[in-house]
Amino acid sequence: MLRGFALVAAVAFLCRHFLSEEEDVILQPGKSTVMSWIRERELSFIERLTANILKAGPMPKHVAFIMDGNRRFAQKAHVQRQEGHSQGFEKLAETLRLCLNLGIHEVTVYAFSIENFKRSKEEVDGLMELARQKFSRLLTEHENLERHGVCIRVLGDLTLLPIDLQQLIAKAVVATKAHNKCFLNVCFAYTSRHEIANAVKEMAWGVEQGLIKPSDVSEVLLGECLYSSNSPNPDLLIRTSGEVRLSDFLLWQTSYSCLVFQSVLWPEYSFWNLCEAVLQYQLSYRSLQKAGDLHREGQALQQMEADRCCVAELLQHRGNGKPMDAQSRQKELLNYTASREERVHCFLNALQHKRDTVFSDLSSQAVVA
Amino acid sequence: YNRYIYAKMKHTHAALYLLKYIKQSVFRRNNSRLMEGILKQQQELLGMDSSKYSVEFMKNGTDKQEHQVLSCQSVVKVLSPDDGRLSIVQAAQQLCRAVELKEKTSKDINVTVLDSLLRESKNIPDPDLVLKFGPVESTLGFLPWHIRLTEIISMPSHVDVSYDDLFGALQRYAMCDQRLGK
Repeated sequence: MLRGFALVAAVAFLCRHFLSEEEDVILQPGKSTVMSWIRERELSFIERLTANILKAGPMPKHVAFIMDGNRRFAQKAHVQRQEGHSQGFEKLAETLRLCLNLGIHEVTVYAFSIENFKRSKEEVDGLMELARQKFSRLLTEHENLERHGVCIRVLGDLTLLPIDLQQLIAKAVVATKAHNKCFLNVCFAYTSRHEIANAVKEMAWGVEQGLIKPSDVSEVLLGECLYSSNSPNPDLLIRTSGEVRLSDFLLWQTSYSCLVFQSVLWPEYSFWNLCEAVLQYQLSYRSLQKAGDLHREGQALQQMEADRCCVAELLQHRGNGKPMDAQSRQKELLNYTASREERVHCFLNALQHKRDTVFSDLSSQAVVA
Repeated sequence: YNRYIYAKMKHTHAALYLLKYIKQSVFRRNNSRLMEGILKQQQELLGMDSSKYSVEFMKNGTDKQEHQVLSCQSVVKVLSPDDGRLSIVQAAQQLCRAVELKEKTSKDINVTVLDSLLRESKNIPDPDLVLKFGPVESTLGFLPWHIRLTEIISMPSHVDVSYDDLFGALQRYAMCDQRLGK
């Protein structure tokens, strides 16, 4: 559980004693724990009670949000669009805190789609500026980020962004890379189709480099080449503002996730909305577990079949006409599987290294004002 | 189990693309019974017009035309879980083989290339609408590539679903406002 956050020590102790078995966070006297990306937000008594009741059931470990409705909110509240987006960010910071309170330690958000570049120059520039502000601010809070173990990742085609923003993002990602208590994945200049096509491109690169064979390409391997490869698939995907589509977000990763569509506009998102979504997850839990297990079984069978085919082909090429006994065939199969796994392991390491290098190069170019 | 039926309304012809998505275990066992059932429903509901609508079974790439029709305004395609991620994997393998043979480079691979390869093997247009039956709130692997902009409307059950239920869903669909990122 997260340590070192703002809760009065005595109340925390009482609550822990009375309501929950889990460790609570204690305020470290004299140290500011304020972060701009994770708001300070104490739960009220009734909220804490609800949280603990929910936690008695299965809880999602990774939640994804399509934070839709900023502009409609701005219209409703008679403010500028830019203000709507700003409030949207504030709501993100608050919701992250609420997730942590509920024991949800990984959150992925859809901040900016490649399709959003179609908006007016004014709006796009405004969003880029907001991103600049927020990432710059993040970099000044490095100490707190480290203390709370917050790891920030940014997923998308960053080459589409202004170079200074790319550098800021890279710096934030590199600075928080080793943190491992909670994870925030921000999809920026992202669409799922681009991500999937990019994964296929990377596997093709692997073939070009002689690291893997085309027959090594599998569902599992493709998943490991996505931008989100360091995260488990989201358990729960929430979209606000009443729209009931995925809008090219995590299409591969959410195939077996619980989808919850809520009509509330993002800047108005509340603790209760989050609880409602988690409840929906709990109601679908058994079926989704079953479906996920079945799917994984299927994947394993497919892989075994594919390996068998490859071995059969190899033996045919190598063959001298004499049929092989079952035991030798089995041995060949095991050898083949082991060598494939080794190949794939090396390839994935090379891919990770390639990606890390891009970020570290950008990061070292950055000049923080 | 869950079934997914998706419908696309063509404004001028009011034709329906109906795709039924059945979980693999049911699909494998009741293949011919399913076909019988669909044809029976066609007759009952559409009467004289039933010959206008063809039914195709798709099983992971094999596009078998079970019934030939002359005027084809509506198509029913029955899919299985293998038509989802696995199709993308197969396209990926094809591209990687082309790269191995130096017919392509990795840099040639992008969304457009992958999309056209997927459409080559299976001619399924992107659904405008998915009608999801059953209490499980998930797409359960249904055509992940194709549903990027698809409206997903949940219906409580496929049992005894009425024309009114279906029409209600289509009305909801008609009210959706797609901004397409703008």
